[in-house]
Amino acid sequence: MKCKKCGGKAVINMRQHNMGLCKDDFLQWLPEQTQKFIEKYKMFTPDEKILVAVSGGKDSLALWDMLNILGYKADGLYIALGIDEGISYSSESQRLTEEFANARDLNLHIVNMASDYGTDLPTLAKETRRGRDKPCSSCGLVKRHEMNRIARDFGYDVLATGHNLDDEAATLFSNTLQWNGDYLIRQHPVLAERDGLARKVKPLFRFYEREMAAYTLLRGIEYIYDECPFAVGSTSTQYKEILNQLENEHPGAKIHFFTKFLSAKKKGLFAEPTTKIVPELHICPTCGQPTSGQDVCTFCRMMEKSGQ
Amino acid sequence: MENTATIVLRNQKYEVKAGSTILAALNKLEILPESIICVRDGELVTEDVILRKGEIIKLVSVISGG
Repeated sequence: MKCKKCGGKAVINMRQHNMGLCKDDFLQWLPEQTQKFIEKYKMFTPDEKILVAVSGGKDSLALWDMLNILGYKADGLYIALGIDEGISYSSESQRLTEEFANARDLNLHIVNMASDYGTDLPTLAKETRRGRDKPCSSCGLVKRHEMNRIARDFGYDVLATGHNLDDEAATLFSNTLQWNGDYLIRQHPVLAERDGLARKVKPLFRFYEREMAAYTLLRGIEYIYDECPFAVGSTSTQYKEILNQLENEHPGAKIHFFTKFLSAKKKGLFAEPTTKIVPELHICPTCGQPTSGQDVCTFCRMMEKSGQ
Repeated sequence: MENTATIVLRNQKYEVKAGSTILAALNKLEILPESIICVRDGELVTEDVILRKGEIIKLVSVISGG
């Protein structure tokens, strides 16, 4: 297959764009497209301070790499959750993230559940009803709380995550299957800041997962290849597989599913809710972060329950 | 040596016929091209590449959960 831009040997075939690209052109195209969508969706400007949530996986490291290449002021945040499960998952992810940051002289914040809170995610999950069966829900709660805390405490303007199109399409698929209107109306590549919650952006939302894997490989970025042991066989992974089967038969199915959802919303397909679906926020008396409840936030309640 | 190539995905090895494309081998193995990228000698290649006798193609799974 030939590169659509230079006629050289393509290294990736992006069937949804009817385009193959060689290594050099792909490594130029991807950051250019990222920049285009950062501007189109007004995610942030070069003057703003960005905090990138980095997990040690391909997407977040690729995002941090690209923002650095594009000249943005982007620091990283790694949350050490203490997941081991026989493969040293968290410590290996942290090692790779630190190596990445050190090699590029980038600033990395590390939140360590063990030293900062005296616990780890698997323990925390077991001790609470929320995470008794599977810690993923507790994990999401901890990450959201800590990302917002660091963004607020260190004065970041925006919080960027490495969600790619497959992540977004799988979430949309899940929410559509359940007609989960509250989530459907909120799903967007940019969530504006409000009442103490940092602005959240997803600059990679237009790229397929395989493009991000190709980018990290071509850039020589070492990332944690193993899936989170708790995410193996998860519903979101199953949805991704189903969507990939569709994509295989109908190239572009995933990108159309998500981008046409966004344009349908923009055109007013979704009516304004008749009841208030975004709750008013209050300040948690323990941690000072915004919460939808009237009293102590869920994160602090979870910590209290586990005796931390 | 038989006229085969080896495809490796997550420590699983598959012997496939050389002389046909990676895509043909993936179809036969029921591996979705959308879920992987293909690496030959450390270099990324497209699925229309013809498999050479005795070579090893590493498939990198791209799906991540969580």
